[in-house]
Amino acid sequence: MTTNKAKDRKLKTNEKQKSIIDALKMHGAKVYDDLENGQFPKFSIPSRSVSNIVYDKKIRQYILGNSAALRSSRNSSQLRSFTQLMWLAFFANRLTQEKKSSTLRDVYYSSQAFDIEFEDQSESDNIIVDLEAILSKPREDFHIFPEERSSIFGDLNIEYTIPGYEGKTMNLSNHPDGYAIGPSLTTAELLDTSAEIVIAIEKGGLFTRFVEEQVDKKFKSIIINTGGQAPRSTRTLLKRLHDEMGLPVIVLTDGDVYGEHIAMVIKSGSANAAHLRDLTVPDAKWVGVWATDIEKFKLPTIPMTESDIKRCHDLQSDPRYQEGIWKKELDVFLKIKRKAELEAFSKYGLTNITEKYLPQKLELAKSL
Amino acid sequence: MSSIKEKFNQISPSEFFYRNRDLAGFSNPTRSLYTAVREFVENSLDACDQKGIFPDVHMSIKAVDSEKPDPKPYILTVKDNGPGIESKHVPLAFGTVLYGSKFGLKQARGMFGLGATMAILYGQITTNKPVFVKSSTDGKIQDEFELLLDIQKNKPVILKHTTKEVTKRGLSVSICLEGDYAKAGSKIKDYVYETSLITPYATITFDDPKGEKFHYSKIVNEMPPAPTIIRPHAHGIDVETIRRMMVESQFEIPTIDDAMVEKVRKDLGLGKKNLAFTGIMDKAKKRWKTLSRPVRVVIALMSFLKMDFDKLNKIRIEDIDVSNKKLFYWDFGDSQSKSVEMDSESPYYKQLTGTIQGETLTTFLTKRFQRIGPTTAVKFAEFAGFKPEKRMGSMTNQELVKLSESLQKFEDFLSPDPSCLAPLGEEPLEKGIKKFFKPDFCEVIQRPASAYSGFPFIVEMGIAYGGEIRPGGPHVYRYANRIPLLYDEGSDVVLKVVNDSDWTRYKIKGDPPFVIVTHICSTRIPYKTVGKENVADRPEIERELRLGLQFLSRKLAAYMSKRGQAEMAKKRANLYAKYIPLIAQFSTELSGKTKEPNYKKMLEEELIVDDKQS
Ligand SMILES: Nc1ncnc2c1ncn2[C@@H]1O[C@H](COP(=O)(O)OP(=O)(O)OP(=O)(O)O)[C@@H](O)[C@H]1O
Ligand SMILES: [Mg+2]
Repeated sequence: MTTNKAKDRKLKTNEKQKSIIDALKMHGAKVYDDLENGQFPKFSIPSRSVSNIVYDKKIRQYILGNSAALRSSRNSSQLRSFTQLMWLAFFANRLTQEKKSSTLRDVYYSSQAFDIEFEDQSESDNIIVDLEAILSKPREDFHIFPEERSSIFGDLNIEYTIPGYEGKTMNLSNHPDGYAIGPSLTTAELLDTSAEIVIAIEKGGLFTRFVEEQVDKKFKSIIINTGGQAPRSTRTLLKRLHDEMGLPVIVLTDGDVYGEHIAMVIKSGSANAAHLRDLTVPDAKWVGVWATDIEKFKLPTIPMTESDIKRCHDLQSDPRYQEGIWKKELDVFLKIKRKAELEAFSKYGLTNITEKYLPQKLELAKSL
Repeated sequence: MSSIKEKFNQISPSEFFYRNRDLAGFSNPTRSLYTAVREFVENSLDACDQKGIFPDVHMSIKAVDSEKPDPKPYILTVKDNGPGIESKHVPLAFGTVLYGSKFGLKQARGMFGLGATMAILYGQITTNKPVFVKSSTDGKIQDEFELLLDIQKNKPVILKHTTKEVTKRGLSVSICLEGDYAKAGSKIKDYVYETSLITPYATITFDDPKGEKFHYSKIVNEMPPAPTIIRPHAHGIDVETIRRMMVESQFEIPTIDDAMVEKVRKDLGLGKKNLAFTGIMDKAKKRWKTLSRPVRVVIALMSFLKMDFDKLNKIRIEDIDVSNKKLFYWDFGDSQSKSVEMDSESPYYKQLTGTIQGETLTTFLTKRFQRIGPTTAVKFAEFAGFKPEKRMGSMTNQELVKLSESLQKFEDFLSPDPSCLAPLGEEPLEKGIKKFFKPDFCEVIQRPASAYSGFPFIVEMGIAYGGEIRPGGPHVYRYANRIPLLYDEGSDVVLKVVNDSDWTRYKIKGDPPFVIVTHICSTRIPYKTVGKENVADRPEIERELRLGLQFLSRKLAAYMSKRGQAEMAKKRANLYAKYIPLIAQFSTELSGKTKEPNYKKMLEEELIVDDKQS
């Protein structure tokens, strides 16, 4: 049964790889044929301008509308970026074929070997997003990963698929500092787990505390440190834990508007990634720290800054903040104009958060 | 070819100009050497122009002692293939100040009749050597003169005059003068170079003291049409000029000698017949209409003298006093002066006074000035407060001043006739500019004729950009009546106009390689000094310069934007050449092919890209 399941997963990974390679080949062949026929090749790239980002209620995330921009090699002002895009596709194809991973920064430097100049990394990052939009696939699928790493800890067995480690397995509770969520982990097979829930937490400090307090064992959980706004690899892993292992996901953040939005992005994505699906966990639940918790738990607070307040107003016009706790908590933040960090619980003892607050919230989550 | 015998007029003594030689450009050895070169070269070109001869001018400067440091004596020789000067005029033309043939109203380089003489004078003062002039008007005999100038008397002293057989027409002048070629050399070279640009129909050679030879062959094979001499325009006239013209407008009382009597007899059809006084008068009355003016005047005189031909032979008319109506004559027989009363009612009286007092105002205006018809003349008389039939000879001094002032003020005269001007023409100018500067772009314009205070003028201009022109422009080449103007740039009207231009408006930026050539042609260039170096600003001239420059600048701007487009297209082509091969390379590997697509054709095709598409 287990081996069957593993085979299945392996097949799935291979399929995913194949579909990327096929898509790249298809685009490459189109360009090849155009050139052969004396035509200037072009790409149609879904527009990522604000006016083309719409909220899809059904799948509960931001998606791109129908408008697209044409990037033509005939237009001399687009010729350079067209070539950059072509190069990236070519480079992504090599990465995927050879199962090598690369980072955003790597991409920027690798380009120089091919006479493709990017003015700076933000230019190459932009081209990467263009390719994501054309393929409707996150960059991780074509083996480009961000530098920021978040980490994971808990009883989860995985099997590596990256070259040199294929077939090797690992239990993610063996090292108390946790495991960095990088390309090898996101592409690994998830074999089995005793955990019943995933707790995503915003801050490294609290993550360490949770490991020390053995939250993984006490609450049968996998603990993930998102390191602020969750990187895409982390979101991919969260989604896989939810979809493949059937685990519910809860999110614990600072008690402020940014924390609330970290939870929202895990749940339904960000406008920045509107061109991508499969990065969201629509069932994820934000359990705290809520604005209402500040009163309830008598937490020490600090006043909201100008930018905090502005952010509240911005989010009020986001369609996802129009109902439920999302709207309610936002309104309260705006009313009290104060915020509290996760560490604030330490006022009542270092273990207060794991012993008092967390159990309450886990209980509450079931009803959310 | 014109066959006008030039009139030589002598106006004023050399003394004055000796004292004012700074004004004429002879202030120091550097400037003087340069000015002397100019004066002789310009005289040669003028002479050839006037006779429609393609000028071939040789100029040489040799140091008397090449070892000596500057300033030192040099021998300057200018030789041409022009018409030469008739033998008897040579001493006057080169030995007298203000003696010239170019005072008539037409465009020429020379204006004042003192250039050559000033140079000779300067040479004589600094080196005490005579001038050598060789002139041949027929290409067979050449007169060779050695002259010195008597400054006080404004008179030439002929040291030597010989003749020689030759085969070529033309004139050669050679003087010895103190100069500084070390300092003047570059200006002189510039002068020769710039002269050949504005005189593309001339061949000019210059042998410099260091043994260098500069040769500019003619590059156009057409002479610009020679200007015609015309009557003056009313707006450019002063009292002195009116006085001089009046002298010409009065008829002299004919001398009654045998020949005259014979003519009168013949015109009356008398043959050998001897008629008495009354008979003669009757005959004259009948034939009056057919009689010429001198004959009529004789008849009129006879009518008051009451004499027949015999008696007439024995007297001489002394004076006709119009205001006292008296006729004075000398009687040979009685050897005394006598007079008779004149009847002012008599038609003969009118004939006499008309002759003495000259033309009527309206006739004077229509006959002596350009562009005044009878209607305008009458209108003007009314404007000035004169009777149209007022005799010029009857005008008092005050009335003459009033007349000249009114001539300036009256606004209904047509603008001056430009046929006395000789612009170079757009085509030769363009050819000259292209040949000299080898630019990428060149445009020329000849503005329509215009006038300032009675003097017609035409502005010609050219603009050239790129090619072999050095950066740092605009480089301005100024000309007036085909003379390059090299000194005193700062105060010139052309530079004022050029400096007022905002070149960035015409897409010209940075350190542009461009040239502006301006040529002002006029019967009277308003030079600021006799040295002919800078043109004073007259609003009319400034306006024409501005309009011309605007026109050319717009053309240049159009060219610049086209040039910009071409550069863009080239840049674009380079972009394609750089990127398309890369795209081909990547697409080949991506699509799993081994051979690259054939994109070469695409690169070769002319690419017209619509950047707006997207
Ligand atoms: N090379 C020549 N060939 C024929 N005639 C000449 C030549 N050089 C001078 N002349 C005659 O001599 C005259 C005097 O010359 P000069 O240079 O003194 O006066 P200009 O040229 O009339 O006036 P400017 O003072 O402006 O030069 C001229 O007007 C011309 O008639
Ligand atoms: Mg002269």
